[in-house]
Amino acid sequence: MIRQNDKPRAMPVRLLAAVLLASSISGMNAHAIDAPAQGRIVIALSPLGADSNLYWTTTGAFILPSMQTLVGNDPETGKYDNSQLADSWEHNADFTSWTFRLHPQATFNEPWGPVTSADVVHSFNMHIGDDAKLSGISLFKKIEITAVDDHTVRFDMPSPEPNFLFSNAGRGSLVIYSKAQFDAEGIKGYETSPAGSGPFKYEGREVGQSIRFSTIQDHWTGVNPEFDEIEFRWVSEPSTRYAMLSAGEAHAVTLPRDLQDDAAEDGQTVLVSTEGAMQTTMLFTGQFMNPEAEENRDARTYAWGDQRVREAANRALDREAILEVLYGEGVRPLPVYTMDPRFPGFSEELAARFDTDYGYDPDKAMALLAEAGYPDSFDNAKIPLVVTTLAGNPEFAQMAELVQAYFDVVGIETEMREQDWATGNTAIRGFTADFITPMRNAPVRPSALGVQIFFTEHASAHLNIGDPELNQLGGKLGNETDPATRDALLAKMFTRIFDTYAHLPMGEVPASVVVNSELVEGWTFPGSTSSGLSHFELIDLK
Amino acid sequence: MFRFLVTRISSSLFALLIITVIVFLLSHLSGSPVDALLPDDATQEQIDSFVREWGLDQPLWQQYLTFLVNAVQGNFGTSLKWPGEDAMGFVLDRMPATLKLGGLAILISVVIALPLGIAAAVYRGSAVDHGAQMFALLGQSMPNFWLGIILIWVFSVWLGWLPTSGMGTFAHAILPAVAIAWFQVSALARLTRSAMLEVLDAEYIKLARVKGVSEGMVVWKHALRNAAVVPLTYFGILAASILTGSVVIETVYSWPGMGWVALEAIRGRDFPVVQAVIIAYAVVYMLSNLFVDLLYVVVDPRIRRG
Repeated sequence: MIRQNDKPRAMPVRLLAAVLLASSISGMNAHAIDAPAQGRIVIALSPLGADSNLYWTTTGAFILPSMQTLVGNDPETGKYDNSQLADSWEHNADFTSWTFRLHPQATFNEPWGPVTSADVVHSFNMHIGDDAKLSGISLFKKIEITAVDDHTVRFDMPSPEPNFLFSNAGRGSLVIYSKAQFDAEGIKGYETSPAGSGPFKYEGREVGQSIRFSTIQDHWTGVNPEFDEIEFRWVSEPSTRYAMLSAGEAHAVTLPRDLQDDAAEDGQTVLVSTEGAMQTTMLFTGQFMNPEAEENRDARTYAWGDQRVREAANRALDREAILEVLYGEGVRPLPVYTMDPRFPGFSEELAARFDTDYGYDPDKAMALLAEAGYPDSFDNAKIPLVVTTLAGNPEFAQMAELVQAYFDVVGIETEMREQDWATGNTAIRGFTADFITPMRNAPVRPSALGVQIFFTEHASAHLNIGDPELNQLGGKLGNETDPATRDALLAKMFTRIFDTYAHLPMGEVPASVVVNSELVEGWTFPGSTSSGLSHFELIDLK
Repeated sequence: MFRFLVTRISSSLFALLIITVIVFLLSHLSGSPVDALLPDDATQEQIDSFVREWGLDQPLWQQYLTFLVNAVQGNFGTSLKWPGEDAMGFVLDRMPATLKLGGLAILISVVIALPLGIAAAVYRGSAVDHGAQMFALLGQSMPNFWLGIILIWVFSVWLGWLPTSGMGTFAHAILPAVAIAWFQVSALARLTRSAMLEVLDAEYIKLARVKGVSEGMVVWKHALRNAAVVPLTYFGILAASILTGSVVIETVYSWPGMGWVALEAIRGRDFPVVQAVIIAYAVVYMLSNLFVDLLYVVVDPRIRRG
C-alpha cells in the first residue's frame, strides 16, 4: 500500500524540477557581461512617456537622432541656426507667413533620396492627424502649408506667429519623414525602420528597452561623430543607471541631484547644457486675481488670493539654499517664470530688483502675514502643497517639502498633498485645483508663448490666474506684430506678474548628464529639447 | 475528483470576474489618462478627440460592459504608452521573460531552501541550524528592491562579474533571480525545517531507526516524503509571490517582463495595459493555485477520496 502511494508523490517533484529547469534555461545564452563594444556609445535614460517610431504619436519628449527638424539650435548659445534641414527662412511683415528653403544637398538615409518640400508637406500632414499627441501641435492644425518648389515650403497661418521657429527647432513639433518611404512601405515602414536625414541611421529597437543607431559616414551636413554606433537604454531606476555608469556599461546617464553628487565624488563628470533647459516654479492655482467670481473657478477665498500672503510666501523662501539643494551647479535665479534673457520681453530692471523684492526675509514675511490678519481672517488659511514627481523632474517632491519647511518658519499653515502629476493635471484642467504645485517650462518657451500659457486666458484657460490687466495685455500681444511694441507689452506683463507676486519663481535649470570620466571627454548641448539632450554627434570620446 | 475540479474552476472564474470589476474601477478612478498622455498644453480639441477615441465619454457601467465583452475575447485595446501595440499581446509577449526569471528564482529557492531546511532540522540547535535561521531572517528582513541594488553594486560594479541590468544572456538573469529568490528561500527553509522537525519526532521514524535503516534513508526518504506536503502547499504562494515580487525587481534590473510592464504602464496611466497585465497576473496566480490544489490531491489521497 505504501509503495503504491509513494509513486505519484515522487512524480510531481521530478516534473516540477524539470519544468523549472527547462523554463529557466531555455532561451538564455551562457554568456557574460554586457560592456559596450569599441565605438559604441551607450546612454541610459528614464523611460519615455510614450515610446514609438511615429514621433507625432508621442508628446515629443525625444527626437530620434536619425530624424531632423527644419531649424537647428546652436550647441553653444541655443540660438536658431541652419544645422538642420532648412538652409534659410523668412517671414512676412506680420508674421503670418513663413517660408523655409531646404538645404539642396540634404538627403535621407539610403535609399530614399533627397529631402524635398514634398517630404515636409507629407510629414506636416502626418503630424496633424487625429492620432497626434505632440506638444504644440494645436498651432499646426490652423496652418496651411504649400510646397512652393522642390526646396521651398511656405506656412501660412491665420494669426501672427513670431515664435514659429521655436516649434520647428528643438521643441520639435515637426520632424521630417520620407514621403518616398511612405509611398513604398506605408506606415509600417515608419513603424519598423523610419528613414531620417540626421547623422545617424535607425538600426532597431526593443520596445521599452533600447533603441540603436549607427553613424552615417560622409553625412550631407559634414558632421562626423567619433563613434560607430549609439544606443539609448531606457532604465527606470536611477540607482541602476548610476551602476551602469560606474560599471562602464554606459557612457552617459541622467541622474537625480543626490546621485549626481555621489557620482561626482566617485570621479565621474557632470556635464550641464550651455543654456537653461527648464524653468521651475511653484504655481498658485485658480483665478485668484479675478475680481469677479466665476462659476467653478473662483479662487478668491484661498489664502493666496491676498497679495500680502503671496509676498510673504515669496519672502519666506531662501531660494539660494533651496536651489543649491535641488539642482546644484549651473542653476540661475528666475525673477519671473517664463521670462528669459534669450527672448523678447526680458526685463533687466526686474532682474535687478529681484533680490530686493523677493529676497529671503522671514521677518518681513511675518509682518506681512500679521498685516493681512493671517490665518484668522481667512476661510482657507491652510495652503495645500502638492508633493509630486514628473519624469525628468525628480526634485519636485523635495521642492514642495522645502517650501513647506520655510513656510512653517514664518507661520504659513500648509497641508502636504501627495498626488501624481496626472491627478494634479486633472484638477487643473477641471478647474478644481486648490493648491500650490511645482511646474516646469521645458524646453524654455519663447516668453510670449510661456506667459500666455501659464498666466492668461489666451492659451490655456485652466492656468489663467484671472487678472484682467494681464489678460488685456495678453490680448494685445496676440495681435501685435511690431517687435518693439511686443517687447514692451511683454515687459509690462512680466512687471505685473512680478509686482503682484503672482507665483513663487524658483530657478532656470540647465539639463545635466553624468558621463563616465574615463570614456567621455566632453559634450556640448544647449538644452533646447524637451529632454534637454541633443547634439549626440558632439559627444567627445577620450 | 471531478466535482472538486468543477468547484475550484468555478470559484476561480467568479474571482476573476470580481477582479475585472476592481481593476476596471481602480484604473478609472485613479485619474484620467488624458492628463498623463497628452501634453500640458493640449487643446480642448485634442482632449475631446482623445476622450472620444477611448470611449471615456461613455457612462462608467457602459465602459465596463464594453471592457468585459472585449476582455473575454482577449481584446483589451491598444496601448497608450506604446502606441500601436495590442495591450494583451504586449503583456503576453513579456510573459516568457517573467516566467524565465520566475522559473530560475523558484529553482534557486527550492535547490537552496530544501537542503537548508532539512539540515537545520537534522542538526537542530547546532551552528548549522543557527546559520540557516540567520540566513532566513536576513532574507525575510531585507526589502528585495534594496537587496537588488546591493547585489548590482557588489557583483556588477565592484567585482565586475555580472551585468547590471537588461536581458539577453543567462548572466543577466542571475542577480534578479537571486534577489527574488532570497526571500522565498527564507520562507521555504523555515517551513521545511518545522515540517521536518515534526516528522522526525514521529513514531514511524523512530521505528525505522530501530530497524537499522541508515540515517540518510531516514531523512531523505521516510521523513522528507511526508514533510514535503507542507512546503508543497506553500508552492502556490511562492509562485504568486515571485510573480508579484517581479514587479519591483524587473524594474530595478530593467528586465522586460510583465512586472516591468505593470509598473511602466501604471506610471504612464496606460490603462489598457494595466488592465491586461493585472488580469494576466490573476490568471497565472489562479492557474498556479489550481495546479497546487491538483498536486495536493495527487499527493494526499484523503482529499482525492473525500
